[in-house]
Amino acid sequence: MRKFLAIVKHEYKKVVLKWSFLIGTLLLPALALVFTFVPMIIFSLRGEPTRIAVYDPSGKILSRLEKNLSTDRLMEKAKKAAVDSLTQVDASQEEKMRNNAAQFMQDFNLIPYEASGGTEAARTDLLSKIQRGEIDAYLLIPQDIEAKDATFEFRSRKGGDFISNDTLKDALNEAVRSQRLADANISEERLSELSAAANIDAKGIDESGEEKDSGGVLIASFVIGLMIYITLAIYGQQILGAVVEEKETRIAEILFSSARPFELMMGKLVGVGLAGLTQLGIWVGTVALLLGFIALQTDLSAMLSSVPTITPLMVLYFLIFFLLGFFIYASIFALIGSMVTTVQEGGQFAFPPIMIMLAAFYFCFAVIRDPNSTLSFWVTLAPFLAPITMPVRILAETPPFWQIALSIIVNIGAIAGLVWVAARVYRVGMLMYGKRATIPEVWKWIRQA
Amino acid sequence: MPDTFESDVSLRVSNVTKRFGEFTAVEDLSFDVRAGRIFGFLGPNGAGKTTTIRMIVGITAPDEGSIALFGEHISYDLQNRIGYLPEERGLYKKLKVVDQLRYFAELKGVSGSAAEKKIDFWLERMGLGEWKKSKTTDLSKGMQQKIQFISTVLHDPDLLILDEPFSGLDPVNVEFMIDVLSEFRTKQKTVIFSTHLMETAERLCHDIILINKSKKVIGGSLREVKESYGTNLIAFRGNGAERVLGDRSMVEKVVSHADEQELHLPDGVDPQRVLSALLESGASVSKFEITEPSLNDIFIEKVMNA
Repeated sequence: MRKFLAIVKHEYKKVVLKWSFLIGTLLLPALALVFTFVPMIIFSLRGEPTRIAVYDPSGKILSRLEKNLSTDRLMEKAKKAAVDSLTQVDASQEEKMRNNAAQFMQDFNLIPYEASGGTEAARTDLLSKIQRGEIDAYLLIPQDIEAKDATFEFRSRKGGDFISNDTLKDALNEAVRSQRLADANISEERLSELSAAANIDAKGIDESGEEKDSGGVLIASFVIGLMIYITLAIYGQQILGAVVEEKETRIAEILFSSARPFELMMGKLVGVGLAGLTQLGIWVGTVALLLGFIALQTDLSAMLSSVPTITPLMVLYFLIFFLLGFFIYASIFALIGSMVTTVQEGGQFAFPPIMIMLAAFYFCFAVIRDPNSTLSFWVTLAPFLAPITMPVRILAETPPFWQIALSIIVNIGAIAGLVWVAARVYRVGMLMYGKRATIPEVWKWIRQA
Repeated sequence: MPDTFESDVSLRVSNVTKRFGEFTAVEDLSFDVRAGRIFGFLGPNGAGKTTTIRMIVGITAPDEGSIALFGEHISYDLQNRIGYLPEERGLYKKLKVVDQLRYFAELKGVSGSAAEKKIDFWLERMGLGEWKKSKTTDLSKGMQQKIQFISTVLHDPDLLILDEPFSGLDPVNVEFMIDVLSEFRTKQKTVIFSTHLMETAERLCHDIILINKSKKVIGGSLREVKESYGTNLIAFRGNGAERVLGDRSMVEKVVSHADEQELHLPDGVDPQRVLSALLESGASVSKFEITEPSLNDIFIEKVMNA
């Protein structure tokens, strides 16, 4: 036991007392912040106002368009888009980008264009103005906007500026629609009253019947899944590296003459696992402190209400499932490490377990969408997948206790089997120098006592 | 082999066989190692030396036969009394010297201030005191070898097993190491070392065993081994001896060296008779010395001609 503790201590210190641990502990939160804020900042960098010459022979659209593109109206829209982008977690990546983009206002400089020569002459003249750089774009409004084939011609030398294009398109659509309504003698106010969307108050309900805000839950579940996935991947690789180092440098032989191989392997897993827990603990602690601090400083009841309640029991579950996942993947990585001769070779073999982890992470989306589906039940029970999917499911909607217990039991069983197999391979593989073990060889080591 | 375990026998290997699949690495091997002696474990590469040593230190188990250490059947609990320097050895690349040594000492059951004291003592002894806080990557190869050696003796083991300890060491460090080993012997500790350098073995060992192709070839004290070979070997220098040297009934084989010849006499031929025959034939003899074979000769004879 004393030796085992010595091994645990050694492995723990080897990870925690390295610069990379400190950097990693600080870097991940920093990266998370960067990925949240940098795109916002970049999109908010406004370009020059777009100069658009508008030829409006109908004489009805331009004034409405100007109103729609006024700063006040655009502000209003940006706010609405910001709210949308937060609540639509399951929107596609493209939609999200659009929503994000729409939060940022564009400046438009509409220049009324008068021409006597009709549409054709206007087009030629405006094109040459664009070429000379006097304007950025032109918009040709048809004479008869009621006509079925009425086309609005918009040409811009900033064709890739989808933010401006979208904003303009929306404003134009609105302007044309309201003009058509006005022409048909329908009051706009009346119409908007009639076509108002039904106000749906959508909230999830947890076991005890308490309401909870679904938006916050979705984000938090996703973050938990991601955090466990990343930590497992990092610490799994850590195990792989440590095992390969001892094999590569031939330290294994000295170690094996001092302690039982099983002690050595388990000591390594426990030591590195504790290091992982330390890092997770620091992250969770920091977030808790930060939230607490913010809550004290300002009245954030509105904001905090959308953060799902995380009970101490949930935290305990997260830790349990992190540890289950850690021991499953760490024993696989220890097995791989003792098979191969170099870290590079190990990297190739590490691909399958990493793929499984990634699959588990993707299953999280299905679990978040419907935590009670049959699929969710199975992926939160299955070994390899459950350590990542179950915490997500617990947060999204805590399943009955028996399902959590069953999942824990199934995964402990998997760990027992994997550790047993890994210990056998480790014992022989660590002393095999010079060449990589083949799968049949490994199979033989597992079978013989 | 007697059934009782004499108190001066620290290691007894009895009829040990180890197989890897079809390949037999060690076959029916038996030998004793006595306390307070330096035991040479000799043999060509691939003879089964490392496999045997791994069984003694408890890394692998024999398929047949048994190994007893200090009168007990080998077990993990006995590992703390062994210091083992493997042939393939290394250090953690990025760990400080003192941290590595502390870890290795802890794995052998020595920790705390006892370990610190030992570490300081040995580092000073090896002239590496100022390197205590350095990382492995900052050390020369020779220094690393010394650190590895320290890690095998830190816990003051009763049995020291060194697999090819001198490979890669410069002559100064070899001498230094030999000093340390002799010191161990005077403290009634047992040293086993494997080597293929016969000159070193000849200088250091009291007892030897020579194995080849997984089997024991010869074993015993250096004296016994040499005597069993040495009675019919003559170092000779002289002129006009062609007739006698060509007589196969008196001289079996002549090996020429730079300035003398080595005469191998057939079994039962008295060197005195050869000498008088030489003198009678009128040869001028400037050197005629009954010699014992070097370990090297025995090694070559037993291994090459096997």
